[in-house]
Amino acid sequence: MHMADALVSPVVGGTMWLAACGLIGHSVRRIEASAKDHLVPLMGVLGAFVFTAQMINFTIPGTGSSGHLGGGLLLAALLGPHAALLVIASVLTVQALFFADGGLLALGCNIVNLGFFPAYVAYPWVYRVIVRGRYGAMRGSVAALAASVLGLQLGALSVVLQTQASGIAELPFGAFAALMLPIHLAIGVVEGCVTAAVVAFVARARPEVLPVADAEPVRSLRPVLAALLIAAALTGGLLSGWASSLPDGLEWAIARLSGTEEVSALRGTWHARLSAVQERTAVMPDYAFRQTPLSARPDGSDGASAESTTARADAPSALPLGTSVAGVVGGAVTLLVISWLGFVFRKWPRAV
Amino acid sequence: MPSVIEIKDASYVYPDGTQALHAVSLCVEAGEAVALVGANGAGKSTLLLHMNGTLLATQGEVRVAGVEVSRLTLSHARRTVGMVFQDPDDQLFMPTVEEDVAFGPRHAGMAQDDVERRTHEALARVGMSHLRMRPPYRLSAGEKRAVAIATVLAMAPGVLVMDEPSSNLDPRGRRRLIAQLRSFEHARVIATHDLELVVEVCTRVIVLDGGRVVAQGPVRELLNDEARMLAHGLERPHILRHQHPH
Amino acid sequence: MAFPMAVERWLDVARMDELARQGTPVHRIDARAQTVTTLLFIGVVMSFARDELSALMPFFIYPVALMSAGRIPAASLLRKLAVAMPFAVAVGLLNPVFDTRPALALGPLHVSSGWLSFLSIMLRCLLTVSAALLLVACTGMQRLCEGLVRLGVPRVFAVQLLFLYRYLFLLADEGRRMTRGIELRSPGVRGVRFRVYVSLIGHLLLRAMARAERIYHAMQARGFDGRIRLQFTSPLRLADPLFVGGWTLFFAVARVWNLAEALGALLMKGVG
Repeated sequence: MHMADALVSPVVGGTMWLAACGLIGHSVRRIEASAKDHLVPLMGVLGAFVFTAQMINFTIPGTGSSGHLGGGLLLAALLGPHAALLVIASVLTVQALFFADGGLLALGCNIVNLGFFPAYVAYPWVYRVIVRGRYGAMRGSVAALAASVLGLQLGALSVVLQTQASGIAELPFGAFAALMLPIHLAIGVVEGCVTAAVVAFVARARPEVLPVADAEPVRSLRPVLAALLIAAALTGGLLSGWASSLPDGLEWAIARLSGTEEVSALRGTWHARLSAVQERTAVMPDYAFRQTPLSARPDGSDGASAESTTARADAPSALPLGTSVAGVVGGAVTLLVISWLGFVFRKWPRAV
Repeated sequence: MPSVIEIKDASYVYPDGTQALHAVSLCVEAGEAVALVGANGAGKSTLLLHMNGTLLATQGEVRVAGVEVSRLTLSHARRTVGMVFQDPDDQLFMPTVEEDVAFGPRHAGMAQDDVERRTHEALARVGMSHLRMRPPYRLSAGEKRAVAIATVLAMAPGVLVMDEPSSNLDPRGRRRLIAQLRSFEHARVIATHDLELVVEVCTRVIVLDGGRVVAQGPVRELLNDEARMLAHGLERPHILRHQHPH
Repeated sequence: MAFPMAVERWLDVARMDELARQGTPVHRIDARAQTVTTLLFIGVVMSFARDELSALMPFFIYPVALMSAGRIPAASLLRKLAVAMPFAVAVGLLNPVFDTRPALALGPLHVSSGWLSFLSIMLRCLLTVSAALLLVACTGMQRLCEGLVRLGVPRVFAVQLLFLYRYLFLLADEGRRMTRGIELRSPGVRGVRFRVYVSLIGHLLLRAMARAERIYHAMQARGFDGRIRLQFTSPLRLADPLFVGGWTLFFAVARVWNLAEALGALLMKGVG
């Protein structure tokens, strides 16, 4: 369920980064306030444990498919919500940096989806309410199942909302939700079963490591929760409108700054990718292939010629085909040049 | 001058109710090398953890350089007693060898210059200066062990306490370790199953069995007592058979 | 096989660390400068309109330059990219299905805007993921975490990253040994049965917790008091602001003007 960089717009990614920063800051403060020194190595090692556990699969009976542990709820059950959030965030960060799971822009989304919901929603408001420090088979299973399912459903819903608000993927909201939620219902059930079984295992082998009833208050989480809800509402509601109707936030902002109204004229057409700003300022905007005058200057013309072409291309007859061909040719040549530069760079440091 | 470590009638009961030590008494004098031997589960590791206050005796007392170890004197005990744990991976937790060796001095609040000097000296002492920038998990077992010792040396302790220092080492690594252990001027307490190492490094042996000290004395005398060694789950080391055919 | 891609993955992580310890000019750039530039790069790349293609092309110079000057082999990056792409591909592939408006005609070939945006998603994925991977490959976990702390990331979080990273290999190794034991006794079975799995994970967890306790003891033995002190030695050099500034300038130029299209137009004009 890792959100990918390529599907997140900077506005959504940035908003979620802020939310994630807030969450990490909050959890760090709570951990420091708790003064539990032993958490430092414990959190680190359990992060590594979650990594390892995620790579071990088991067969799901009767389906031929396999499942593995996600670990969010298990961490919360073992460490409490604050340390769990920090561990999950660190796991996601390492995954983004080393394994290219998710990505850096989407990291905030992933920390919210996979960390906030299990640790700060499902754990305190479902798991702990049901378990109350007693790890009986029935009670533990129900709690883990309910909490996992809720955590993962919220996470999946959040993925859908973030994707939607980003407006990069075309998937209609309903279809995407209809795809994601049932899948994550199944994943949630599996996760719940594993979490319950592993907690029961630990409760048998070393009961003293499990937190006892109501060790930590949850009330102070409200401000964070409120902030997050607001952030989510902002992203989901307000920004999705902009994101889907405008080429993108940055261009929109630039257009606003430069006082152009052309953005709205272009909106929704296949012209959309050419922002007004680009047309105004481009060295060679919207260059029309077929309109090239026969008297065009010979190859290798310089900036002066570019300017005169710009003037001609301002004519409304500029054809999109020209643009696209120029884009394709230019793109290909750019890549070639860059790969060549790559070889040059590779030689260069050896001389240093 | 007081003994560097003096334990009097120390008993320890784990939180789950297992009694690991029964009225253990022993002394370690400055500069001597003492071996702690005994079968698995005899209480060696538990006893070692008392020497720097990681565990506090439920009864009896532990004195380090004359100061009784309690919650209030933990930092004194930890500065005086350098503990080398059995698994170097537990001890080397920082991202590079250098950071790891610098951890102790830095947490003792030393100035950066002193930290660097101590780090370099400690690494040079165990011959691992060339690994300075390496991450610990990329080292061989022998290198890890040497660096683990360096992390403790950097704190300039009066006593080195080691749990199974020769475990997992190949013969060359073990030879190097033995040579190093012999060269140290610190008091040394070495818990080990490696009786050949004991013969080469230590002058005195303490035998633990079932959480009690069942024998102590000079190495050659005690380890040659085959009947007694067998009775406590140990054996008479081969090296002594060849050297002293009684 | 209960441990499918684990082995290559670990080798790769170790490899990244190896790469990060090279001494190329890129590796000498401060971790803060590299982090900031990477984030900026990703932000700018993602800020393009969703079906932008040609304007993204010039941005490849950033990963290519880092890769070449930092002597990071392309093969190891591409392998990781292959692992990273599926989710973006899966979701992006639906774009051509849902968005069939014609957008581009190259002679007889008509391309819908859905395909354009799909290709654009793939390009962004390539760009952003390789930038993130290169950040680690050019700095390494330790320098990166130091940089993060100096950029204002809470120390507790940076230390958490370092500890997690330190014990990844060790626990993965434990996990591998345990699963190998099970595999040897149940050949040809993919994954393990649930009950075996739970006891496997449970034991792994207990071992991890016991290890954490031993590490804690070792830390206490050397004076740990709840706060890890990290030493920052590397001062900023002139090259660092130049690195950030130069790239920022380039990103800004390439963001405002479509350099690739301009180049194409220039060439076409020459031909025409």
